[in-house]
Amino acid sequence: MTPVRREKAERLADEELMPWIAKKDPEAFEVFYDRHGGAGYSLAYRILGDRTAAEDCIQEAFISIWKSGARFDRTRGSVRSWTLSIVRNRAIDALRSKAGKAPKLTFDDDAILESRAAAEHTEAEVLSAETADEVRGAISQLPGEQSKVIELAYFGGFSQSEIAGMLNVPLGTVKGRMRLGLEKIRGELAEGMA
Amino acid sequence: MNANEHDRRLEEVAAFALGALDAAQIDDFREHLKGCKRCQDELRWFAPAVRALPEAVEQQTPPPALKVRLMEEVRADVAAEAKLAEAEKRRERASSRKGFREWLGGLDIGGLTWKPLAGMAAVVLIVAAGVGYVVGNGGGSNIHTTEVQQKNGIVAMVVDEDGQGELRLTGVDQPANGKVLEAWVARGESVEPVKATFTPDEAGNASTHIEDLHGVDAVLVTEEPAGGTKVPTMEPFVNVPLEGT
Repeated sequence: MTPVRREKAERLADEELMPWIAKKDPEAFEVFYDRHGGAGYSLAYRILGDRTAAEDCIQEAFISIWKSGARFDRTRGSVRSWTLSIVRNRAIDALRSKAGKAPKLTFDDDAILESRAAAEHTEAEVLSAETADEVRGAISQLPGEQSKVIELAYFGGFSQSEIAGMLNVPLGTVKGRMRLGLEKIRGELAEGMA
Repeated sequence: MNANEHDRRLEEVAAFALGALDAAQIDDFREHLKGCKRCQDELRWFAPAVRALPEAVEQQTPPPALKVRLMEEVRADVAAEAKLAEAEKRRERASSRKGFREWLGGLDIGGLTWKPLAGMAAVVLIVAAGVGYVVGNGGGSNIHTTEVQQKNGIVAMVVDEDGQGELRLTGVDQPANGKVLEAWVARGESVEPVKATFTPDEAGNASTHIEDLHGVDAVLVTEEPAGGTKVPTMEPFVNVPLEGT
């Protein structure tokens, strides 16, 4: 396969870039990084709270994508959510490893989360691009106890039992707060689509 | 499963979506999920909310040095792979040349013959990796085409038109400095050089004219010093066995 030129790579959709990355095309990978490196870095920084650690996380996550680009399965979701889930897992693993806990994250959960037809992803992709502010607003408007459990779970990598212990509340309460919090964010997203 | 048990599972969907189920519960929940449409639907409903979480974080600008380091590693990886591929290619060539030098041990240079072989069939076994086949026969005019895919990836074609021929090669590397390609025709045990030496173009294509293909058993190609030689100094890296010429 002749290397793809930068200008051509820039015109390709994410899903079309991935086969080039699988063929080890640096131009395609550079375009891929330009598109998702910022979001990945922001997520890693949000989780790790440290710029150097976030840089290390992104370096590792993107190199793992470079080396395994062929593993992307377009039927399981968008390139962006796949990329961010890899970044998130790396960052949480780094957090847990720093804290002396065995990594518990696997990619299977993301696969289940993403397990639907590719066409159905349009909604989420449009939303993620256009209403990030609304989502931020929705999260900030959640009752503190609901946003807290979601943040501890998603950005802290803590399990529901650990969160219950940290907050000194019953496990059922944590489950309920997670559920209510996600429902509100989901409702906000659905409203944004209407 | 009773209704209470099912409700309990349903309560865990949000935690599962957030990756917050306890390790001991995850496999159990996955197993349940496979057969429970209601939980699957619930999970699908939550999925966009979970996917939106990383998009909602405050955006930071990554330092430009991060991209520089990343691309350096990527390009180093590409260079290392290319080097490995080249080394592998050289190993293959060296291995095939070694075999030829051993074979040349009994070469009778004065008589321009290669005696130790039991006919050119042995040459075919040593050199040609592909199976030669007649590609076409030119109907009214007597044109016969034989194409052979070589072990080294080169595709060699001999076009025989009424006894006059042309050898066409694709996928040929540039010869070393001061070297050219030289074609040979083998008849029985006798090997004779084709008059003109030749070189590949930038795309790796090369061709040379063969004046007389009558009685030729095989067309061979070696890399030789500029100007050509009277006997091959290396094992042919192209071998096109011909039938019925």
